[in-house]
Amino acid sequence: MDTVTRRKFLQLTAGTSIGTAAAFLSLEEIAAAASARPLASGTPILVIVTLYGGNDGLNTVIPFKDPIYYSSRPDISYKQESILQLDSQFGLNPAMNGIANLWKGGKVAIVRGAGYPSPDRSHFSSMAKWQTGSPITNSKSGWIGRWIDSQPDDPMLAISLGSVLPPLLAGEKKVGSALPLGGLVIPQGTIGADFRKLSLPSTSDSKLRSLAANSMKDLFNISETITPILQRPEPKEIELPTINGGNAGGDSNLSQQLNIVSKLIQADAPTRVWSVSLGGFDTHANEANAQSVLLGSVSSAIDKFLTDLKTSKHGSDVVVLVYSEFGRRVVGNASMGTDHGTSGPMFIIGDKVKGGFYGDQPSLSKLVDGDLSVTTDFRDVYATLLEDVLKSPADKYLNNWKGRTKFFKAR
Amino acid sequence: MDLNRLETARLFHRFGFGPRPGEFSGAISAGVSVTREKLFRNPGTDRGLLNVSEPTITDLGQRPSPSDPSLATFTSELRRQNIDLTIWWLDRMVLADFSLQEKATWFWHGHWATSIKKLNYALPMYKQHQTLQKYALGNFDEMVSAMLDDGALQFWLDGQENTAKSPNENLARELMELFTLGVGRYSETDVKELSRALTGIQVARSNGNIAFRKNRFDNGTKSILGSTQNFDRKSAGKFLVSQPNSKRFITERVWYRYMSSQYALPAGNKLESAFESREIKELFLALASSDAMRDSKYELVKSPVEWFVAVCRALNITPSKLNKDSALLNFLNKLAQVPFDPPSVGGWPTDDAWLSSASAQFRASFATWLVAKGDISPIESSAPGERVQKTADLLGVVEWSARTKSALEGNIKSSQRLILLAICSPEYLVSA
Repeated sequence: MDTVTRRKFLQLTAGTSIGTAAAFLSLEEIAAAASARPLASGTPILVIVTLYGGNDGLNTVIPFKDPIYYSSRPDISYKQESILQLDSQFGLNPAMNGIANLWKGGKVAIVRGAGYPSPDRSHFSSMAKWQTGSPITNSKSGWIGRWIDSQPDDPMLAISLGSVLPPLLAGEKKVGSALPLGGLVIPQGTIGADFRKLSLPSTSDSKLRSLAANSMKDLFNISETITPILQRPEPKEIELPTINGGNAGGDSNLSQQLNIVSKLIQADAPTRVWSVSLGGFDTHANEANAQSVLLGSVSSAIDKFLTDLKTSKHGSDVVVLVYSEFGRRVVGNASMGTDHGTSGPMFIIGDKVKGGFYGDQPSLSKLVDGDLSVTTDFRDVYATLLEDVLKSPADKYLNNWKGRTKFFKAR
Repeated sequence: MDLNRLETARLFHRFGFGPRPGEFSGAISAGVSVTREKLFRNPGTDRGLLNVSEPTITDLGQRPSPSDPSLATFTSELRRQNIDLTIWWLDRMVLADFSLQEKATWFWHGHWATSIKKLNYALPMYKQHQTLQKYALGNFDEMVSAMLDDGALQFWLDGQENTAKSPNENLARELMELFTLGVGRYSETDVKELSRALTGIQVARSNGNIAFRKNRFDNGTKSILGSTQNFDRKSAGKFLVSQPNSKRFITERVWYRYMSSQYALPAGNKLESAFESREIKELFLALASSDAMRDSKYELVKSPVEWFVAVCRALNITPSKLNKDSALLNFLNKLAQVPFDPPSVGGWPTDDAWLSSASAQFRASFATWLVAKGDISPIESSAPGERVQKTADLLGVVEWSARTKSALEGNIKSSQRLILLAICSPEYLVSA
């Protein structure tokens, strides 16, 4: 990469950590490890992977037997021999070895044609629909946020990696926590005590001032339990090449995010929902290489994540959900890319999952306005996850949505 | 709550980047209308900006091949220009006298949210910044026209890939959704037709120069929002701006960033009509003079850059003097807001998105680092018993809660710690 990116800044300034810049905010005093209330083995954990930018579903789960696939996008289609075959008609993008292996192990459910009614091709409103779980009426809260609202106060309950909270984890009354990549530093000593004072509630607080105070309160709670774990050595993050699809949000280091999540799960963090993300899927131009690098990163990061957890007591409790705000147009554009489209595949991965295809493949010969039809409403998937992973009544959080997709093994 | 203090604080923090020492108490004595009039008065020459020297931003041309020995010079020069450009803008925000102008430019940067990450080069971003500066308080129709000729925006949204033979819809969609009309105020057919009208542009990435290529332009008739003609980017841009929805949308966006992202623009407001002629300054003035200014429910969280610039103005800090080892950009980066690098074409988030526990931690470290470099004499020179109130006046805070007051009162003997806690307090972080 030849630009000063976010990560470049961090590398450039690696010697100037916050700890050294502000002496009494150093990492040297570390709170005790996450042992006060470990997550019981057998408690299901949901890990949500959001792919920002609109992942091209047709080049992810590829209908290699369909001649229309090849005639619609001659420049950016994958030849049958390069595809990782899943069955007689479908195969994964050649970069997705890790997920192909998990598929062979029967741990991957692929929901085809997932979306919502009257698809909106805007990144922002489409992502809002997916994250709020409310595609018909506008909602300000996220589908996990509404679940957080119903749970006892606990800053560890749902955690997003990165310093900005995704709408997904924002409830009406409460929000999840955000955890930056890298260690946390908490103010120590008397100044620490003063900061703690600033985090107390005040009767004159407005809504946002009260949230501001609260964010500091959570800072202390979360720092004391998580800081020691983050100090364990981390693998060097994988450097993604410069790509042409990076203007629709998301983070850039999925493997590092999942590595931290894995360590925290192994340390029995009492967290039920984790949110991680990868950006760059807005491949309007020169798609093939960019998308396969990104999908390769998603696939290997998830494979490594689940492999790391295999030996932990929570290995079988983890369910990974992968989605993006929309798929892309069937017909390629002249820039060797694709424009915004409609439905796409969702992945649900884990030991509890009954591997296979769910939902009908949208027909390439019966397009709706040039785009794939939606064959499964994403709320079916959310409802199933709320019930089977978060053990909560889905109706309550999804406006009485009745659809379900049976991708979990019978208990 | 003292509504004169509320309105004065909002004039400083929302329409500008916060008061300098003495300005807030001076404004309280002068009264709201004098303060507003002063805020909106264009000084002609901005004397504060005389202290900001322009960065050296040049056309670096194509990236040398990996085997070319000049590659190292190229990359280090590229990095230097990108950093200089960012720090230069922060200096402007802090040092400008005509804060309304700088704040409006910042607003428009978030509106046309173009990122240096895709451009890589500083020069096209520098040019876009000049365009935004030029029209920030000018006419929206002229701004749209200039932005459609902006190489950075065109490249960012794949305008250079949009040809008659096969349109690329990226720019067309965002032009309607995010820049002029708002989501849901056009059809999918309009997107396709508009993208045809925008064809023909090629961009030189390293300098942002654009060229119109007739053979790439779709010369047929296009139907956009019910009007059928041979639109090109100029006529299509004008046509979009002439739509009543553009008046509505820009009014909504200004409301969202300047007044409230929690409460929608109330029906029956007089703001839209103030924007009838698409004069941006008129819209800002109408908002700054509206009853909403005295309604305490319209609070707003300061974004990290706004918070940082306000602290610098209060403590007489010049950003370029801080950035010896990139620590400044590192902090802003951790708080997820670096100028010229918005997270997406939708711009930066608002309010609760900035209130994560992670941000709280970084902000505390950042504040500690900053205060140590600031001028605390306005507080230091006052009697300890007055310092808590003096700090509110220095920073332009409406009032302290009992909670914050108690934390501050424990530190009246150390002005530095007092200010540190004050700038991290909910009352400062949130513009009341």
